[in-house]
Amino acid sequence: MSAIIVSGLVSGALYALIASGLSLVWGALGVFNFAHGVLLMAGAYVAWWLSSPDGLGLGLPVAILATLVFLIAAGAILFFLLVRPWVGKPNAELAVIMTTIAGSIFTQNLVLEVFGGRYKTIDQVVSGTIWIGGTAIAAQNLLCIVLAPVLLVGMWILLTRTRTGLAIRAVAENQDVAQLFGIGVQRIYLVTFAASAVLAGLAGILLGGLFNISPDMGTDPLLRAFVVVVFGGLGSLPGTIVGAYSVGMIEAFASYYIGIYWTPVVLFLVLIAVLVIRPTGLFGRAS
Amino acid sequence: MNGRAPNWPHIGLALVVIGALIAAPQILTGGVAQNLAILSILYAVVASNWDLTLGYAGIFNFAHVAFFGIGSYVAAISTLQFGVPVWWDLALAVVVVMVVSGVVSSLALRLRGIYVALVTFAVTQLCVALINSQKDITGGPVGLIGVPDLQIGSLAFGSDARAYFYAAEILLLASTIGLRLLVSSNFGLSLVALRDNESYAVSRGMPARRQRVLAMIASSIPTSLAGCLYAHYLIVASPDVFSFSLTTLLLTMVLVGGAGTIYGPIVAAFVLTVGTEKLSGLGNVRYMVVAVLIVLTLRFLPGGLWSLGRVRWPASPAAAPASAASFDLKERPE
Repeated sequence: MSAIIVSGLVSGALYALIASGLSLVWGALGVFNFAHGVLLMAGAYVAWWLSSPDGLGLGLPVAILATLVFLIAAGAILFFLLVRPWVGKPNAELAVIMTTIAGSIFTQNLVLEVFGGRYKTIDQVVSGTIWIGGTAIAAQNLLCIVLAPVLLVGMWILLTRTRTGLAIRAVAENQDVAQLFGIGVQRIYLVTFAASAVLAGLAGILLGGLFNISPDMGTDPLLRAFVVVVFGGLGSLPGTIVGAYSVGMIEAFASYYIGIYWTPVVLFLVLIAVLVIRPTGLFGRAS
Repeated sequence: MNGRAPNWPHIGLALVVIGALIAAPQILTGGVAQNLAILSILYAVVASNWDLTLGYAGIFNFAHVAFFGIGSYVAAISTLQFGVPVWWDLALAVVVVMVVSGVVSSLALRLRGIYVALVTFAVTQLCVALINSQKDITGGPVGLIGVPDLQIGSLAFGSDARAYFYAAEILLLASTIGLRLLVSSNFGLSLVALRDNESYAVSRGMPARRQRVLAMIASSIPTSLAGCLYAHYLIVASPDVFSFSLTTLLLTMVLVGGAGTIYGPIVAAFVLTVGTEKLSGLGNVRYMVVAVLIVLTLRFLPGGLWSLGRVRWPASPAAAPASAASFDLKERPE
């Protein structure tokens, strides 16, 4: 039982990191980033390349710091190349879905060309097993469980207590008025993309320590993140977090009690049920 | 579509098209070319029908690929597991897919904008999950192999692939004529009106959800038949038909070809299917090339490939509302 809960908490934590970035970007720009899964993958690969003896062998701490810098740059590049030209244009939603899909195809195949198709593993950030109340938890899992809420609380503080956060929320609320008040809307977009890339990349590094890394490692988490944001309501950080942990728990319990093949079926049925009852998700606002 | 005076250029064009349709299977008999042509035609059917819901009706429908996939699975499962005779499975597939698309769209269209995209996307994933969970019936991740050939009298289509070529052509021709009639009918105009200014269209008495659900059902019919032909022709039904990469390929055909044109996605289906095959020497790099082309097209040619033709031959009035509306909503007064 406690093992199921731990596994639900780990997935919930990772989903929360991934989905909150998607939700943040949606809130500020009103576009949906299908390349979010690729940011996760890119974070994992860069961290692997910098840290692994087969790559540069700099060791994990240096690698993670350098990866954060890379992710900020990657988020910015993504924004400038694939999002900015379409923001504010008619049909921006559909066009950006398509450009970010194209961006992820490009990056996945680039990674495949550069690093090859063989699975790789990142060293775990922490190793070993910790016993809590009679349950053995792998230290990496515990790190996910602890780190995700810390990061999310950090983001919450950033959004509610800082001027930049206020500006992000102002842009999300009403872009024109925000601009009238002297907020650099483009800068806010950039900050939002960079923050969301960092969250995705960190999730990638954590995932890379739990599973193998491969060019398509971002696809499944992205699909789960879709479910999460629909479940919780796009653009709502609390909703996204509640959604992420609910999805993680449903998955953990469903795969234990009714089997791994039925889990996605249950998940999607629950999702469709939620939408029929509450079309904007549990916490979403009507658009 | 006024149907008064005979429009000689159009009749001439129609004769050329029919001639080409009759001649092509006799000319393209080499294995590779024939295969590419048949696949292009089937993709053209799927992409152009997707254009009805995505381009004309403006529904963020990502379940279209699922209709194609369900069509192919109904053909495979009904013939292999339940011994349904060939041809009857096509009828069954159409009925099943119409029901699925009706149910999915009436649920999904309770939502708005991006949520429609996410839920319809989830439906496609649900199909994959169901297929993987019902291994005994669906063959699981491997798929079902040995879908029987279509047959007329003693002619098994598999013994002469030209038969599949003609069958696919007939489907494409019927589907395209149907789509063009549909989009220029009052029904088609109501879809465009709902897309361009929903509140106004509704205030003038158009039932938004009903029209859109009907559009989804209409577009699913040829799509399911294309799925059946796909399964019979390739003799397999595999979960790949629901894959993200096929979704992307077909979506690219719609958007790069030109959303809201019907013909654009058909042209793009041929260009992209043949193009990626010609680039196969590049290995994975070809997908990178295609990705760059997608972004460049959306950036510099937002009306798609089909809009290239429009620059030189100005649109006829009947075609104008559809093409203009797709990407130039900005100037319209609220």
